[in-house]
Amino acid sequence: MSNYMRAGVFYGLFVLLAGGVMLQNEATAEEGKSDAAPAQDKAGAASVECYESIKDSTNLTKVENANPKFGYPNVKCSPTTGAVLWYGDPYTDTVPMGEMPKFGDETDGDFAQAVIRSRTKHFKTTMQCSGCHPGTAQAAAPPNEPRQLQMHQDIISDASKLQHGRGAIWCLDCHNAANRDTLVDRRKNEVSFDESYKLCGSCHGDTYSKWRIGLHGKRTGEWKVGGKKRWWTCTECHNPHTIQEHRFNPVKPEPPPALPRGMSSSETSSKHE
Amino acid sequence: MSEDKREMVDEQDDGQVKESRRDFLKKMGVAAAATAAAPAATAKAVSIAEALQGHFELMSDEQKQKAIARLEERYSEQFSKQTTVANTPAPDGVLFGYALNISKCIGCRRCVEACVRENNQSRDPAIQWIRVLRMEKGNVTFDAKDLNAGKPSSSSLGDHGIQSGGHAGKPVGISGYTDHYYEPEQVPEDNAFYFPVQCQQCEKPACVKACPVRATYRDPNGIVVIDYNWCIGCRMCQLACPYWARRFNWGEPVLPSEEMNPKTHYLGNRPRPRGVMEKCTFCLQRVRDGRYPACVEACPVGARKFGNLLDPESEVRKVLATKQVFRFKEEFNTDPKFFYYMD
Repeated sequence: MSNYMRAGVFYGLFVLLAGGVMLQNEATAEEGKSDAAPAQDKAGAASVECYESIKDSTNLTKVENANPKFGYPNVKCSPTTGAVLWYGDPYTDTVPMGEMPKFGDETDGDFAQAVIRSRTKHFKTTMQCSGCHPGTAQAAAPPNEPRQLQMHQDIISDASKLQHGRGAIWCLDCHNAANRDTLVDRRKNEVSFDESYKLCGSCHGDTYSKWRIGLHGKRTGEWKVGGKKRWWTCTECHNPHTIQEHRFNPVKPEPPPALPRGMSSSETSSKHE
Repeated sequence: MSEDKREMVDEQDDGQVKESRRDFLKKMGVAAAATAAAPAATAKAVSIAEALQGHFELMSDEQKQKAIARLEERYSEQFSKQTTVANTPAPDGVLFGYALNISKCIGCRRCVEACVRENNQSRDPAIQWIRVLRMEKGNVTFDAKDLNAGKPSSSSLGDHGIQSGGHAGKPVGISGYTDHYYEPEQVPEDNAFYFPVQCQQCEKPACVKACPVRATYRDPNGIVVIDYNWCIGCRMCQLACPYWARRFNWGEPVLPSEEMNPKTHYLGNRPRPRGVMEKCTFCLQRVRDGRYPACVEACPVGARKFGNLLDPESEVRKVLATKQVFRFKEEFNTDPKFFYYMD
């Protein structure tokens, strides 16, 4: 029981170990980027939290009247599932993607106008990983054996059975022991939580190059080649901690269409056998 | 004589003097001429000028401007908010194409709901332009038992009966059941895949051939559009379409003002009256402005790709170049610009 309570109290301190999981719950604070993000100051008292791809993880705050010309909100959400359905502003809450490595071949993507939703931007306003994990002890001798964690069961129920890479890799292969606010790739380069693709791509190179050219993953914004697009990063659709169980976290579907008049059940047509 | 009597009865019943039926009919005759097509419920009636306007493509620029101004005024009053009806021209050198990854689709129906919010479909009766089919895995079989389903039992003619097997409820060779109305707690389900169907924007559209008044036609970007004011509601196009992509407004559309999308296009998502056909236009009002269609932006797994088929660098062209692609009901030679693919 006390374990449970402690887990509740410290929940906020440990969410950052969620590796791939986004944490953008807070409705506060505009940190610059007024051009990329819509007028959040207009968010009323009744702010609505919606989720994009992963429930309870890739959350977004609905802002009423974000586009005053048409009276649009920044997003419209499903009343039944809380999922984001419609974007009045496809660039809501985004920042420029920044530099991308050059491939120098036909798989070179077009990143000049690419924007992403930043996770680190929101770390500043929530609890940082380094608040609990200063990284001094572990950096000297990082424990590299799979073991049961005392915390973070919400992220991975049994860390000793982590199946990413079918058990070949372990938390600290991706999370940086020296600086818990960052990730680390196989060559021990520090990778920002915003740039998960650089880490994921170091193993999943094929998928990464397809993502760069727009074959894999999702874009929103302008359809033109070279237009301003929001690039959805790896961890906005996939949860790396449960990827072996399911490619996408299961979600509740939107309600089915109304049955044709006079039809009591959708099974009717199959009953004529 | 009898009319006078009835008038008296009416008067006695309610204690009020009603206008005579003859007067009433006289007024009705005048009113009917003025508001022939006016639905009783709308705040502002369709004007005579709107009812008599020509085909959109044949109007002069001035006539188009007038028609759009009329519509904007009527919609703004009807929905109590400033509504724009755009006439953005089709961009040059663009042929719109769509690709959908059926191995990624999880059947969450967010595309359906996004489409409804973007395109001002009637909420009651509910009209949806996208239908997601749930197919059982292993849907097609060559098992003798299934292939023989529905065949007449063996006769003197042998086992090769006249009927080729199956029926409308269960076509031959189909072992599973295709469900439009699935409602599990969570998707994706095991043993199922999902197949969203919407207008395929055919290069040789059967609906366009069927329309007797050319109210539906292919625009320069390859999108099949409808002039809702020119449509006579005969529903020939609906019969001709092999994809069940067209929806008819049987009833007076109900669209709550707060849910109405005020950014519209004449050929796209402007509110439709009763008695006309409607269908997916690849969100014409968005794509002519450079935005992705609403369904592309709503898909949580990135299964939907959209772009210019004439640009080899576009996402759609890259899908066509590298993936295993098929078109739905290819045998009809409708040449869809909507492609399904698999990883």
